[in-house]
Amino acid sequence: MLAVGLTGCTDSFLEITPETSLSSVTFFKTEADFTQAVNACYVPLRTIYNDRSYLLSEMHSDNTYYYRNTAFGATEQQEDLADFSIPVSNNLTTNTHVLNQYRQDYLIIARANQILALIDKADFDAATKANLKGQAQFMRAFAYFEIYRYFNKGPLQLTPVTTREAAAAKLGTADDISKIIIGDLTGAIAGLKPKATQEPGRATSGAAKTLLANLYLIQKNWAGAEKLCREVIAEGSYSLMPDYNNAFTTSTGNKNNAESVFEVQYQEGANGFQGSFMYNFLPRPMTSAELFTLSGTSNPQPQTGEGNNAPMPELINSYEAGDLRKDASIGYITCSTTLWQGKTYPIIKKFMRTHSLNGNHGMNWPIFRYSEVLLFLAEALNEQGKTVEAATYMNMVRKRAGLPNTTATSQVEFRTALMNERRWELAFENKRWHDLVRTDTYKERITAKGNAIKADPFAHYYERGYTLRSNSFSVIEKYYPLPADEAALNPNIK
Amino acid sequence: MKNKFYDLRMGNRTGGLLLALIFFLSSVAMAQAQNLRGKVSGSDGEPLIGAAVTIVGTTRGASTDGSGNYAIDVKNNETLRFSSVGFISKDVVYSGQKTLNISLAADNKTLNEIIVVGYGSQVKKEITGAVQTISYKELKDLPVTQIGQKLQGQLAGVQINQTTGQPGKGMNIRIRGQLSVSAGSDPLYVVDGFPITGSIGAMNPDEIEDISVLKDASSTSLYGSRAANGVVLITTKKGKGAGMNVSFSAFTGVQNVPMKGRLDMMDAEEFAQFKKESFEDAKQPVPAEFQNPAQYKGKNNDWYDALLNKDAPISSYTLSITSNKERARTSLVAGVLQQKGVVRNTDYQRYSLRLNSTYDISDKVTIGFNVAPQMVYDNTPRTDGDRGTGILFNALHTWPIMPIYEADGKTLTKFNRFPASTGNIFAYANWVRSADELINETTTTNLLSNAFVEFEPIKGLKFKSSMNGEILRTKFFFFNPSNATSAINTPIPTTAVSIRENFENLSWLNENTVTYNKTINEDHKVELLGGYTNQYFRQESTRIQADTYADDRLPTIQGAINIARGGTNSGVQEWSLTSYLARLNYNYKGKYLFNAAIRSDGSSRFGANNRWGTFPSVGAGWVVSDEAFMSELPVVSFMKLRGSWGIIGNNNLGNYTSYALINNTVNGVFGNTVATGAAVSSLANPNLGWETTQQLDLGLDLNLFNNRINFAYDYYTKNTTNLLYAVQIAQESGFGNFNDNIGEIKFWGHEFSLNTTNTTGKVKWTTNANISFNRNVVVALAPGIDRVYGSFHITKVGQPFGQFYGVIADGVYKNAADLANSPKVPGRSTVGSIKLKDFNGNGVIDYGGNADDRTIMGNPFPDFVYGITNNVTYQNWDFNIIGSGSYGNQLLVRHIYSTANLDGVFNMVDGAKYRFRSEANPGMGMYGTTVGGGNVTGIERDWMNSRFVADASYFTIRNITLGYTFAKPTKVYKSVRVYASCQQAYVFTNYWGGPNPETSAQGNGQGDGGNLSPGVDLSNYPVPRTFTVGANFNF
Repeated sequence: MLAVGLTGCTDSFLEITPETSLSSVTFFKTEADFTQAVNACYVPLRTIYNDRSYLLSEMHSDNTYYYRNTAFGATEQQEDLADFSIPVSNNLTTNTHVLNQYRQDYLIIARANQILALIDKADFDAATKANLKGQAQFMRAFAYFEIYRYFNKGPLQLTPVTTREAAAAKLGTADDISKIIIGDLTGAIAGLKPKATQEPGRATSGAAKTLLANLYLIQKNWAGAEKLCREVIAEGSYSLMPDYNNAFTTSTGNKNNAESVFEVQYQEGANGFQGSFMYNFLPRPMTSAELFTLSGTSNPQPQTGEGNNAPMPELINSYEAGDLRKDASIGYITCSTTLWQGKTYPIIKKFMRTHSLNGNHGMNWPIFRYSEVLLFLAEALNEQGKTVEAATYMNMVRKRAGLPNTTATSQVEFRTALMNERRWELAFENKRWHDLVRTDTYKERITAKGNAIKADPFAHYYERGYTLRSNSFSVIEKYYPLPADEAALNPNIK
Repeated sequence: MKNKFYDLRMGNRTGGLLLALIFFLSSVAMAQAQNLRGKVSGSDGEPLIGAAVTIVGTTRGASTDGSGNYAIDVKNNETLRFSSVGFISKDVVYSGQKTLNISLAADNKTLNEIIVVGYGSQVKKEITGAVQTISYKELKDLPVTQIGQKLQGQLAGVQINQTTGQPGKGMNIRIRGQLSVSAGSDPLYVVDGFPITGSIGAMNPDEIEDISVLKDASSTSLYGSRAANGVVLITTKKGKGAGMNVSFSAFTGVQNVPMKGRLDMMDAEEFAQFKKESFEDAKQPVPAEFQNPAQYKGKNNDWYDALLNKDAPISSYTLSITSNKERARTSLVAGVLQQKGVVRNTDYQRYSLRLNSTYDISDKVTIGFNVAPQMVYDNTPRTDGDRGTGILFNALHTWPIMPIYEADGKTLTKFNRFPASTGNIFAYANWVRSADELINETTTTNLLSNAFVEFEPIKGLKFKSSMNGEILRTKFFFFNPSNATSAINTPIPTTAVSIRENFENLSWLNENTVTYNKTINEDHKVELLGGYTNQYFRQESTRIQADTYADDRLPTIQGAINIARGGTNSGVQEWSLTSYLARLNYNYKGKYLFNAAIRSDGSSRFGANNRWGTFPSVGAGWVVSDEAFMSELPVVSFMKLRGSWGIIGNNNLGNYTSYALINNTVNGVFGNTVATGAAVSSLANPNLGWETTQQLDLGLDLNLFNNRINFAYDYYTKNTTNLLYAVQIAQESGFGNFNDNIGEIKFWGHEFSLNTTNTTGKVKWTTNANISFNRNVVVALAPGIDRVYGSFHITKVGQPFGQFYGVIADGVYKNAADLANSPKVPGRSTVGSIKLKDFNGNGVIDYGGNADDRTIMGNPFPDFVYGITNNVTYQNWDFNIIGSGSYGNQLLVRHIYSTANLDGVFNMVDGAKYRFRSEANPGMGMYGTTVGGGNVTGIERDWMNSRFVADASYFTIRNITLGYTFAKPTKVYKSVRVYASCQQAYVFTNYWGGPNPETSAQGNGQGDGGNLSPGVDLSNYPVPRTFTVGANFNF
């Protein structure tokens, strides 16, 4: 370098590329490049499910509430979601969780766009390429599916952004987004490997079919959903775990089991792949000794702040007698130091597993389980008038839960029974709000939730003498408003 | 426990003794005098100390002693030249006399003084730009350790704030209000022609001969793409004068944090009373701990005070030797500085050496070598930073009922927690233990060197080639043992963590210049300069983080159970710069002055499509006082009008910002298999380049009454375009921002300086004063973007940069009617809670979003900054007092989001005693009710509002020194000056947020939105008041 400088070979002297990072110019050529790029598409799922989904989908439904801790402040972002009081002006919201959900979904989309724009031109093994491309398509479809469900509209980004001007895209309608999802999933179904041969944890053709069936159910395309669910079942890769408890992973094992269709992959330890969602679901404050009974770690730390995702008493009381899922899903903990006089709280037992390090666990988060495929099919059949056949699929799920066959016989009765079944089977799995929206029952159910809490705040984890904030349950809308911070950067969002 | 591998401290006195030994040995080798003797004095009869007596055309010479006496060998008909700084020199042809007494006339502000400018030097009178200089003579009497501290208040247009009192750090220097959205704003420091890449904060100020501050474009444009922030030229001591001069100076002192200015917090009894009242007001049972506040009387735990050292010692020793013999000139400066800080366990040590040598190897060839090795050891506890990271902030808000010591009164407690029923949701480590037991040390070794050869084949034509090198090694070691922590809510024992980080920097510069000086027909003076330079920088870094130690005594890497992958990494940073430069200076009779300069910079930092930038400037001056008609106005001794214009750049944009980089650590896991992931992490911009500043400067220099009053005025405008700016973009792109050159800021200002000789004769009294007004307005940001937010700030088109942004507090809701009839926060406002102004009049208070009620609520930039220095001498006594200040600026007292958090989870500012409690007891309207929990109190705490903004105007007496010189030579010394002095003697201010109105949290986590978030107080390390005594010996 010294010699170059002295002799003045200016062009090469001034050409310095970073030694410790790769540049996008040289990347996206080989199979390894695209494999790494595909892996990165999955990464935002860890954040979304650890930090956000439960706030926007579960606590923002009639299944859960928060563990009010009056000694602790700065919690209105979460509380506003559970209380249906997010600030809305000009059809936009400043709620930070809505903003972050939106950003993480589009981060997946941008990473997938990068792959899909270039992978066809790359030269490597066709089968590997199809599987990688399928994963990128699946991930993009999944992220757009979230946008579709939460917002019912969103900017249409389909190509990698390379300039400042291209960052803000045109706003698409629900139809526009639906077309993208269907297109991507059709491609993914063709390209992806089935569960039997796919590396565990990656998207499979079965996962793509289940995701598309979910979309079809929202769109009341019952026949389309039926066909896809039947294909998943016919594939033969999936079965219900005999014990409902074992449908969920531990911190280190039982991952991507026979019932798993698609799940978010976490790993405990120092590598940064861990989850900590269990801690978000704890009543607080909690002593380290109390925490130890749940976490079993060698270094339990006392918990302060305010906990989320407290099971609603109404949900707990709704289980049929003998339902094994009730005890598997909901446990109890006594917190000696909380200000709530009730002291003994229900908690989400099915996501509480012992692990090694405080605040660091490896349980995977189920996005689709086989039992939901069965319930999807039951629903699709019932809506087409095939209630008898529908019952056989629902009863498979009930049987595993230790329950007798359903007594519902009419289409209308079955519809109600099915939604209850979904609520019990999939409790706390971030399904409930979307079910209320697509069945258009959100208004009555949420109003009922509000009335129940207002009538008896103490039963809903408020200290005696404390009541709800005055704006609670004032904004019960079908879709979330788009985030104000992004609207400020995209003139197409009005 | 101290880690001996990292303990570089020698015995406290070793360094000083070593130097003392050296100077005694050196004093043996003094030259003896013969033949001609005499005395040099000023026209007032006062002896001139250190005046040079040289024999013209030879390298022989001598200088006068402490009584003005000299002795020299001289032959008949040789010409003796007598000269002294500040006097007109006199030549005398020797004609055999034994004694010769000379009186020199004063040249009050030596217009013929040679000023160091970029790539050369110039006679002061002929300069057309805005250049201010300050010489060693003016600086040497200030016993401070950093150059920035020496310059505070001395330079018009240069604002210098000491943002933290951590030894060796914190001097924030801004020339002409310079700032930028994303690029750095520090001036370029050039040491002996070498633009250095390290910090100037650690340089021993005693090595400096003089400093030139280049402010306008005509003086800076030769530094091209690095010039826009202004340039500080530092010239180190060279051998000069005659013969050998040896001096030794030492000072020692004590540092303390005055009580005045500390944040007024509740004591234990007051805090318990506050808690008691909070529970009562909420109609809840009062926990036992607070039922009887009087039990805490006399049992206060002042955590902040406990972290401070009383009478922290500081001492400094410097030995200087200059020698000028025959064809060799050398200068050696060796220094030792040892400083304990005012916060416990702060230790700062500097060992420095500089050897500058110049050899005339023939009449036409001169070569020179400068070598300056230095080592700095620094251990500073993690004092500065936000809640949870900065222990001073943590100490401020820790409950004063929590014990610092165990019952024995000596042993530090480990961890303090009260039952949850008391509302103690944040449990605390013992911060004193944190300061004492955490290791946070940095050892920096630095070698700065230059070599040059100068060849003058014919008179006036000089070729110069230089090679400069800078090697900087920084070794950082942090260890958090298991029995201490600086975090909240972390019980002890905690997980022990070590961090080792090493940086190795190499920078070299090769410069090749040719200059040609020619005076044509006596009246036309022409100087030409051309040059070609290359500079290269490379930094390699390694960081290893390890945790979970079996034994705190062995914090090795192998002693840890885990290597933390996330904190372990290596890195490389590189840049290169190739430049061509040229300058023409021309003047006619020294009266009509003109110059033009240009530099062309090619930089690896610039995008591939935009690699070269060109930076031209022109300047002109008119020495009006040299015109015949001015002789009618004898009161004017000198008058010059000057103007300049030029384009300069700012290349502080990061080394790889123009590239789209792949982050290959976006890793995933599938089942139990970890899989490497990679994603594009930034967008490329091949057009990315420097920030462009067009600067215009108009100036007037006016000396009156035989130069007894010297006045200078400058007006400038700077238009900065192509701002380096990470423009926020819609994140649906997958990216948060795009690095672009976009937007425009306009700056303008006025600078005045006035130097007066108030009295002459027995009492000599001079005053230097300056005042500067700097303004800016944001003209444009990116298309479609009219604002960009900082942490608690807005930078908005049409407004000055970096304004505090929030809602305006308007007291509290006094009663139900007031609440009903006023705009409020739905679901949150209650009687007694903070009342805010409904800026958009929609009846609802919104914070953010589309109906935002936030507005500009304060300005971190002053209306003006000023400084005043007075020097008085009477016989052998000298007295110096320096003050400087700032007016009209505000600070955001960020820490009151904790220290005035009404939930009572932290200790509270004293003023919260006067909060709203009931309609009958509404308090003073500053603090609201504690009832309602975070839903109510959170507005006051979490919504940035005008209660956070405090007036931070100040005037600080920087230095007071009283000295006495023993001028009569003895066998041991020629002269000795002894002095006593006080730094940071007194701060006049109304600022209530803490002891330092100059503070700023930039670089400290929260409150650090970088350039966009100036003026945030997070309770940094306080700047101490220091008393010192010292002595300067000349041998």
